[in-house]
Amino acid sequence: MATENVTILRTMLRIPWHVLLVAAVLVSIGALALYSASEGSWTPWAGRHAIRGGVGVAMVLVLAFIDFRIMRIWAYPIYLLSVVVLIVLLGIGSGGSVARWITIGGFTFQPSEPTKIAVLLALARYFDSQPLEKMRSILTYLPPLVMIAVPFILIIEQPDLGTALALALGSLTVLFVAGLPWRYILVAFIGLAAAAPVMWSQLYPYQKARVMTFLNPESDKLGAGYQITQSKIALGSGGMFGKGFLMGSQSQLNYLPEKQTDFVFTMIGEEFGLIGNLFILVLYLLLIGGVLAISYRVGSRFAQLTCIGVAMMLFLYVFVNVAMVTGLLPVVGAPLPLISYGGTAMLTVFLGLGVVTSAVIHDRPEQD
Amino acid sequence: MSRRGMQKESRRVTGRRTFLLGSGMLLMTSFLSGRLYQLQVAQNNRYKRLSDRNQFDRRVVPPRRGRLVDRKMRLLAGNAESYLLHLTPLYAGDIDHALAQLASLIDLNEAVIEQVREKAQRGPSFRPILITESLTQRELSRLAVRSAYLPGVTFEKTLRRIYPQGALTGHVTGYVSPLTSREIEEDRTLGELPDLATGKIGVEYALEPELRGVPGAERVEVNARGRPIRVFRDFEPESGGDVKLALDIGLQQHVTEILRRGKSEPVDMSSPEVQRAIAGNLELKQHLASGENMLLRDEIGKITPPESGAVVVIDITNGEILSMVSSPTYDPNIFTDRLLTRDWRRLNDHPRNPLLNRVTAGLYAPGSTFKMVVALAALEAGIIDENTRHFCNGSMELGNATFHCWLEDGHGTVNVVRALERSCDVFFYEVALKTGIQRIKDMANRLGLGDVTGIDIPGEKAGIIPYHDWKLATHGVVWTPGETVVASIGQGYVLTTPLQLAVMTARLASGTKAVTPSLRAVETEPDFKPLDISPAALRIVCKGMFEVMHGGLGTARAHNLPSRFGGMAGKTGTVQVKRITKEQREAGVTKNIERPWKERDHALFVGYAPVKNPRYAVAVVVEHGGSGSSMAAPIARATLQRVFETQGRA
Repeated sequence: MATENVTILRTMLRIPWHVLLVAAVLVSIGALALYSASEGSWTPWAGRHAIRGGVGVAMVLVLAFIDFRIMRIWAYPIYLLSVVVLIVLLGIGSGGSVARWITIGGFTFQPSEPTKIAVLLALARYFDSQPLEKMRSILTYLPPLVMIAVPFILIIEQPDLGTALALALGSLTVLFVAGLPWRYILVAFIGLAAAAPVMWSQLYPYQKARVMTFLNPESDKLGAGYQITQSKIALGSGGMFGKGFLMGSQSQLNYLPEKQTDFVFTMIGEEFGLIGNLFILVLYLLLIGGVLAISYRVGSRFAQLTCIGVAMMLFLYVFVNVAMVTGLLPVVGAPLPLISYGGTAMLTVFLGLGVVTSAVIHDRPEQD
Repeated sequence: MSRRGMQKESRRVTGRRTFLLGSGMLLMTSFLSGRLYQLQVAQNNRYKRLSDRNQFDRRVVPPRRGRLVDRKMRLLAGNAESYLLHLTPLYAGDIDHALAQLASLIDLNEAVIEQVREKAQRGPSFRPILITESLTQRELSRLAVRSAYLPGVTFEKTLRRIYPQGALTGHVTGYVSPLTSREIEEDRTLGELPDLATGKIGVEYALEPELRGVPGAERVEVNARGRPIRVFRDFEPESGGDVKLALDIGLQQHVTEILRRGKSEPVDMSSPEVQRAIAGNLELKQHLASGENMLLRDEIGKITPPESGAVVVIDITNGEILSMVSSPTYDPNIFTDRLLTRDWRRLNDHPRNPLLNRVTAGLYAPGSTFKMVVALAALEAGIIDENTRHFCNGSMELGNATFHCWLEDGHGTVNVVRALERSCDVFFYEVALKTGIQRIKDMANRLGLGDVTGIDIPGEKAGIIPYHDWKLATHGVVWTPGETVVASIGQGYVLTTPLQLAVMTARLASGTKAVTPSLRAVETEPDFKPLDISPAALRIVCKGMFEVMHGGLGTARAHNLPSRFGGMAGKTGTVQVKRITKEQREAGVTKNIERPWKERDHALFVGYAPVKNPRYAVAVVVEHGGSGSSMAAPIARATLQRVFETQGRA
């Protein structure tokens, strides 16, 4: 009994509270932004967002008590399960319609998001079990490429280019930090540049339209370019200090589309200005930096690679979203983690943070 | 290299590359910050200007909702133009001045002015504040003339749903009201139509997809003072389809009047005696508060509210519902605007639940109107024929229990026709015991009882036709013969809606077709399923129903339809609401009218006319109305007579 209490206390003390605190602050900012997005009301978004945040933090605390070494055993089965789910999803959505969502007991849920975590775990597990002397051989890196390619293709088929690219980029980072020799990286970049025209021809018309609109948003002010133009006007008119809480005329008068999901950063920019936006970016850097710092403090290679993967996943979310709303990237439909309304992305982020928490508590370096 | 050394080396590589990765992230984030600085600070002036005269307001244009008309094209639900008035504080300047100006032109009460002032202080100045939703034509023209001197004031045309017949058709039309958040959750495309009203009940709900139409889209170009300059229509909205109902408003009005009066005469509401009665009676006050304007004086001189109940008239040949009355009722117009809590509370406080559509969702034991079902089941199975007789001495013993006939001294020896004519209970007790509940249940189902009819009114009830498995499933105990006895006279577990009783009667009278009801006007002869009941059995039962009206001892012989309309056939039903105890029976049962209203019997009647080639069927239920023969039968007679008079002229 007494030792049990000691274990619980020790676990609680080892939880990376600073990381969780930053996450909680971001969720709170999200709730306030959503409160403004619905013209000063907790319904329909802000209240639920706050509740989901609470559930997310609770999930991290539960994962903190799960021994990280168990995840090494489960990494491959989880990976296989998510691939099966993606295949089933394609089966459901046959007949030209886009199938990204499944509904379980009233919750709509986008399986491609948590798939990211599953792929990260599987890759980390793979490199963890490889003999270290093989790390300089190209053959070592071929199985991971297949492991990435399978879900990547399945998600592209949905079709959800944005999520697929984020998944590919995030998991390729694991190969990079695992020690992929520089010469192969160079070859890969050259190959990618050569393949770009082929990939362009494979895109759906609406995807092409998005890229074209991105290149010249002014050409179609009321059509596809509308979102980018309105987002830039809202952001730009916010200025240094913003127009004030609930006072963003572009957002409040509904010129800004999707202000509760993909364009929430824009709305914050209009109401709180450059200062507000930079504050949020700093918070994200603290969160991501915190996770990266943890990767230096964990014991096994499995844990180390998982943490780095989670950090990269977080960064990609933030970068793609902010670049999108500022007109630096095409509108691909990427949420701002912990702030945008939407359960699946938030669940995925907290799942990632939970895995990291479990790693730092249970997978400690051997004392020599 | 040693294993330990290699581990250290690979950890070093990963650590180095992680640092590289982190630095890359920092660099990219700085890059994003630079972009934000460029947009928000460097180009701030440009975007501020763009934001100040934000060009186009995209709007979804709600479609015109389809109208509902009766069989003679009289309007039951339509759309009235109404104008919304908005004030945008940003453009109005001095808000108090603007409000004072408005108040001098249109009717604005202090509460509204105070609300607007508060909203203007609380909310952002650029958001328009709704001042009123129902600007009259006159007010509109007054404002339009002076619009140049009223900065920040805008008006907008909308269509409001109106129900010209009001309470008369409240239970048929139902009503529309503003979208609920639940509806938006179920269909997210509705989220763009904040002003859309959708059917919540009645035909408005059942035919929603047909009535709604398809929204259009427009862009409104707005000038720097917030005033629309130009409108571009991208898509025209598509109006919803109009629907013609089978209902006859004239008939509906008469039937409502007939049912509400029952056997009594309306009183002069202004007389001091009536005023005194109202003052001392909370129930009467509640009736009057919810819009009631009629009171009655009953047989023993008491002032009472109008009768409650239901009447349905159905055309046997095509299933058209010519009239369906559910009393008390409500005015659907109060739901179309923002519903006042006061009105809502009054409807809820009403002692007799006016929101309940008694025709489709009122569940009543059918009483003796169920005897046709038992007779048909027994005749068709060959358990009895027209000559099978039973002796009624006023009661029947079964085990330890005694089942009484309504006529204390008994009916003597009767066959099935006489048993129907005089509504002998004991005959049907005996016959039902021999027939068994399963056959009775099957016959009831074939006649349309025990399941919804599928009419275009949501919330229809299926009722209950009990049998062995039902009892076992719902009560966990087996069915007993005593329950068959009780069911044979339509009491016990048996529950039906007035609509089902009308359908049953229509099917009986048709003889060949499984008539189903239709609220819509029927243009072509519908293709009903065959009824498939032995014609000989039907003939005998209809003969019994004929004798109810024509026989020397028929329970409703005093209320037959005049022979110039072809006479009618029918069946009375009187349903006990409260069990009569043995002591009460011995002491002599108190007369209905002397009991409290809630404890009086329900009065039922089903019938059809003319006797030859039946055309119309009717079902009447008067809640706590006394007896079927004295209360419900005259209402049915008067209703059918009115049907012939109005339809003859059409």
